[in-house]
Amino acid sequence: MSDAERPETDRMRRALAELRREIEARLGAAAPAADASSSVDWMELFESLRRRLSTLGMSERSGEVDEFGMDEVVVRRAEPLLDFLLERWWRIDLPGIDELPPAGPCLLVANGSGLLPYDGLMIAHAVARRHPAHVRPRFLVADWLITLPFAQPFLARLGGIRACRENAQRILRGGGWVVAFPEGVKGAAKVFRQRYRVQRFGRGGAVRVAIETGAPLVPVAVVGAEEAHPVLFKLRLPTRALGLPFLPVTPTFPWLGPLGLLPLPSKWSIRFGEAISLAHLEPEAAADELLVSRLTSELRERIQALVEQGLAERPSVWG
Amino acid sequence: MARLLPAGAALELSGAIAITGLRSFLGTRLAERLLQRTPGLRVVGLDVRRPYRLEGRVRFHRVDLTDPKADARVAEILERERVEVLVHAAFRRDPSPDLEYDHELETLGSLHVLHACAAVKVRRLVLASSTALYGPWPDNPNFLTEKHPLRGHPGAHNVRNRIETESLVAEWRERHAETDVCVLRTCWVMGPSYWDRVTAHFARPAVTTLLGYDPLLQFVHEEDALHALERATLERHPGVFNVVGSGVLPLSTLLRLAGKRALPMPAPLWYRALRWPVMGATGDPPEAFYDYLRYLWVADGERGWAAFGEPVYSTKEAWISFASARRLRRYR
Repeated sequence: MSDAERPETDRMRRALAELRREIEARLGAAAPAADASSSVDWMELFESLRRRLSTLGMSERSGEVDEFGMDEVVVRRAEPLLDFLLERWWRIDLPGIDELPPAGPCLLVANGSGLLPYDGLMIAHAVARRHPAHVRPRFLVADWLITLPFAQPFLARLGGIRACRENAQRILRGGGWVVAFPEGVKGAAKVFRQRYRVQRFGRGGAVRVAIETGAPLVPVAVVGAEEAHPVLFKLRLPTRALGLPFLPVTPTFPWLGPLGLLPLPSKWSIRFGEAISLAHLEPEAAADELLVSRLTSELRERIQALVEQGLAERPSVWG
Repeated sequence: MARLLPAGAALELSGAIAITGLRSFLGTRLAERLLQRTPGLRVVGLDVRRPYRLEGRVRFHRVDLTDPKADARVAEILERERVEVLVHAAFRRDPSPDLEYDHELETLGSLHVLHACAAVKVRRLVLASSTALYGPWPDNPNFLTEKHPLRGHPGAHNVRNRIETESLVAEWRERHAETDVCVLRTCWVMGPSYWDRVTAHFARPAVTTLLGYDPLLQFVHEEDALHALERATLERHPGVFNVVGSGVLPLSTLLRLAGKRALPMPAPLWYRALRWPVMGATGDPPEAFYDYLRYLWVADGERGWAAFGEPVYSTKEAWISFASARRLRRYR
C-alpha cells in the first residue's frame, strides 16, 4: 500500500468505526424499550390509538391499489369474513356456477335485492372461490351508495365500482368480469311485499355494454337476499339531509340501532343461467334502441324465470 | 431525467416559437428546455414581467394581455418575429381574490391571443390546460377521457375561466383549419421544484383531508408534463390530450408513503369554518379546492401516452419525488 493511500483508508476506517458505534448506541437504546413493552407499553398504546384516530374514516390498510381502487391486501383480509358469510351465515347454494364461461370477459347480470350490496359481494366472492379461472368480478354499486362518505373508500377497496357504462366497458375490455344490477335503486329499494319481482331495467346499459365489448351476458338470480333485510316500508321525508334516497324500516332497523344493520341468516341461492352471447352483433347495434330494449326485456324475463325456479326449489326462507 | 426527442423533431420549423406567460413555471421551463436542447431555435417570450434566468437568450416582449388593445400588439410581435408556433400558458397558477382580473387575463387574454394568431396565421397553437377542468363530481366515471364534458367546479373561478377558454379555442379551431391546435390537459403536477397551492397543501406534515372520503388521486411529474409540452411544441399533434402519470393511489396511501399525518375534517363543518378566510385568500369557497380531495376526477392518459410517450414517473414516483425533495429542503 502506498503512502498516498494510507490517510484515505485511515479516514474510512475511522468513519466506519463511528458508524458502528452509532448503530450500537441506537440498538442499545431500543432494546430495553422492547423489554418494557412486555408488560404494558402505555406510550405505544397511546401512539397506536392516536394513529387510528388520525386515519378515522379512511381505509387503514390500503396500500397499492389497482386502477379502480381495489386493494389486494384488504380483500385478502376480508376473505375469512366473506367465506363465513358464504358458507355459514347464508349457506349459499351455487347452482350453475360450473357452466360459466371458462375464460375471457363476462358480464353477470343479477336481480338487485337488499339495500346494502351484500349480493354483489357474495356473487363476486363465490365466483372468485369456485370458478376455475379464479377471477374476482368487480361489482357495480349504485350511485347513492358509492358516493356516500365512509362507504365509498370501503366499497372501492373491496372491489366495488360506480355503476356507469364507461367503468364496465373498461373492465370488460381489460378481460375482467363485472357484476351488474340493472334495476338500480328500484331493485334495492323494493319493499317486502314486492320481493322477487324483478323491476324495470334502467336504460338497457348492460345489454349495450355487452354488445359493444362482445362479452357474454350471464343472467344471475339471487334468492334469499330479500329476506336478509326485509324492508317493511320506506321513510322518505327526513332523509334528504343524510343524502340517502330513503330510510328503510326493517324488523330490526332502526329499532336496534347499528345492530339492526346485521343481515338475517336466511338461506340463499345464487343461480347462474346460461350465457347469452351477443358477439354476433356489430358494435354499432348498441345504438339500435329497439333491439337493445328487446334484448333487455328478454334478459329480464330470463332472470325472473331463474328467480321463480329458485323460489320453487327452496324448502323455506331459513332453509 | 431528460429524455431525448425523436430525431429531426424541430427541423421543419423555420420561424420562432412564442410563449405567452413566460414567467410561469411551464413557460420558463419550456423556454429553457427548448433553448438547451434544440440549438438555433428562436424563442420569443411574452409576459407582464421579465422572467428569471433567461436573460439575453429569449427575445422578451412586455405585453399585458388584459389590455384591450393587446390583440393588435401581440399580432404585431408575432408578425415581426415570424412566429410559427405559439404556446399559450398565460394563466394564473393559483386563484387570486381579484376575480375580475383573473377573468380578464384567462378568458379575454386568451381571446386576444387567439385573435392575434388568426391575424398572422400561426402554424401551430398549443394550449396549456388542466384535467381539473373535468371537475370533481360524484358521478364521474373512474377514468375521464378527452371526450368527457368539462363540468368544472361551480365554486372555482379559475376553472370556470379556463373552461371558457377551452370552448373559445374549440370554436376558433373550427374556423381556422390551417392551424393545428393542441390542447394539453395536465393533472396536478408534482416534482422537486414545482410549487403551487396544491403542493403547498401537501407539503405540510399534517394534511387536512375530508372525513369519510379517500379518493384515488393522480399526479404527473413536472418532467413528464414538460416533456409532453415540448413535444407538442416541436411536433404536430392536433387534438386534445390528457397528460397524466400512470397509476392511481388513494389519498391515505399517499400520505402514509410520505410519512404525513391525515387530519380528517367533517366536510360540512370544515367548509363553513373555512368559508371566509378561504374566500379572502382565493376568492373561492373552500369547496373549490377540497372537493378535489373528495370526489374522483382521474383522467385517462392513454391518448396522451400514445402521442408523447409513456411517462417516466408514475403517480407514486412523482409523489415520492415531491415528498423527498421537500423533506431534504427542511434539512438544508
